[in-house]
Amino acid sequence: MTTTAAAVTAAWRAESARLVAALVRLTGDVGMAEDLAQDALVAALEQWPRDGIPASPGGWLMTTARRRAIDIFRRNELARRHGSALADELERTRQEAVMGDGVTVDHVEDDVLRLIFLCCHPALSPESRAALTLRLVAGLSTAEIARGFMVGEATMAQRLTRAKRTLARERAELELPELADRIERLDDVLLVVYLIFNEGHTATSGGDWFRPDLCHEATRLARMVAAMLPGEPDAHALQALIELHAARLPARIDREGRPVLLHDQDRGRWDQLLTRRGLAALARAEELARSGRPVGSYYLQASIAAVHMRARKAEDTDWTRIARLYDVLAATAPGPVIEANRAVAHGRARSPEAGLSILDAIPPGALPDSPLIPAVRGDLLLRDGQRTEAAAAFNEAADRTTNDAERDLLHRRAAEALSAAE
Amino acid sequence: MRYMGFVKMVPNQGEPPQALIEAMDKHVQKNIADGVFVDGGGLYSETFRAEIRLRGGEVTTFDGPFAEGKEEVGGYSVLEFRNHDEAVEGARQMVELHRQYWPEWEGSVEVRRIAGPDEVGGQ
Repeated sequence: MTTTAAAVTAAWRAESARLVAALVRLTGDVGMAEDLAQDALVAALEQWPRDGIPASPGGWLMTTARRRAIDIFRRNELARRHGSALADELERTRQEAVMGDGVTVDHVEDDVLRLIFLCCHPALSPESRAALTLRLVAGLSTAEIARGFMVGEATMAQRLTRAKRTLARERAELELPELADRIERLDDVLLVVYLIFNEGHTATSGGDWFRPDLCHEATRLARMVAAMLPGEPDAHALQALIELHAARLPARIDREGRPVLLHDQDRGRWDQLLTRRGLAALARAEELARSGRPVGSYYLQASIAAVHMRARKAEDTDWTRIARLYDVLAATAPGPVIEANRAVAHGRARSPEAGLSILDAIPPGALPDSPLIPAVRGDLLLRDGQRTEAAAAFNEAADRTTNDAERDLLHRRAAEALSAAE
Repeated sequence: MRYMGFVKMVPNQGEPPQALIEAMDKHVQKNIADGVFVDGGGLYSETFRAEIRLRGGEVTTFDGPFAEGKEEVGGYSVLEFRNHDEAVEGARQMVELHRQYWPEWEGSVEVRRIAGPDEVGGQ
């Protein structure tokens, strides 16, 4: 049995976040850390197929990368001081490698957490934060990230380079933020994970209704953050929200690949394991909230998702509870998206008119590029028996989306509304 | 992709050394921290074990003693990987830990992709 390049890449990926995180700590330079990690991969691709995968791939990669770092620093007169610190580090790593064990988990997890905070640095735009997190923490290739965000590979490469340059310019410290700052920075981290999931979940453009790979990466990141910050209720709430939405993904398209809305989904195809994990994460957030830690909108959104998951049939959904949760959400995090969803909930819980009046209160011109508001209007009008108006609203929504699958779905709903009207 | 891993071992090899238990624990903690580990645990070999069998149209419950197999399943895990190579690498690491901390141990780790739940669109 030979070691293939694919096996080497798999082993490298499993270690890449820790590798990069430790290298950023050692070199203080994100770009250099990434290059060193890549060099270590290249070295592994040369040697492992010949010699086999080492007992501790993480230890091997780290030693290789550090050795290279020392070479670079030794050649660089200005960084001689750094070089001697690195030599000490290397000696320690060698000893650890001899003991057959890479580096202790605790120490390493701190490095990874610092790396996540660094990737979500306030000096970067949200898009750059997401891209850098996927690159350095999730270990995705530039091509994979580009595919995830539906941009060209060159554009994505440029975005990543700019982001790294910005971090260098800002002299962003690889330190865990303290107290008040930390709460704010944690919000940024959670938002990045949330954005990655959202981009995967409601692919804003392209032919697919959603992009499962991006959803899976976000799920993984959410689990990482919650595991590293077990005392943060919002981290668990975000994990809950993402797991519960991910649980529904298998039912979001039918066997022909067409989108299926929540109400019509075959709930037997919801992922039971993810549902269970999501509900467990929500319970952990709840527990922490009970001990007095404040919770935010992820908690409310996860609670809403949980109500859906608990209904065996769509007709069993406790819309009154969902409407109440949206009321609270609207009070804490107001905005047109929440209002549109609140309109759906009240439209079900009370009457289509109740939903329409919430929708009418949204300032005209809100979310001009999103199909959300006209799509909700169409749904509520249809339930109110105003079929012609509903069809017009669905068509308006279809015109607004750049997602092919979503456009087809909205045109189908418009046609159905009209055919029922005749 | 969701995988189930089975640790299969030649029976009656005695208790695992403490160092292996600790290394395995660390390995699982790492997988949890990476968001890869979904579920898993060890399995009792004799106690709390039963087989409900169908033979000649008749259902019987058998709860031991069980005939010794060549290899027995001693534990399972459910993990989520991006691709098959990552799953194989995960399993290799488990075996590698045994080699390091319990080299006399004989057994295997088998990984199988779980059909269904995480497959979008129910292929």
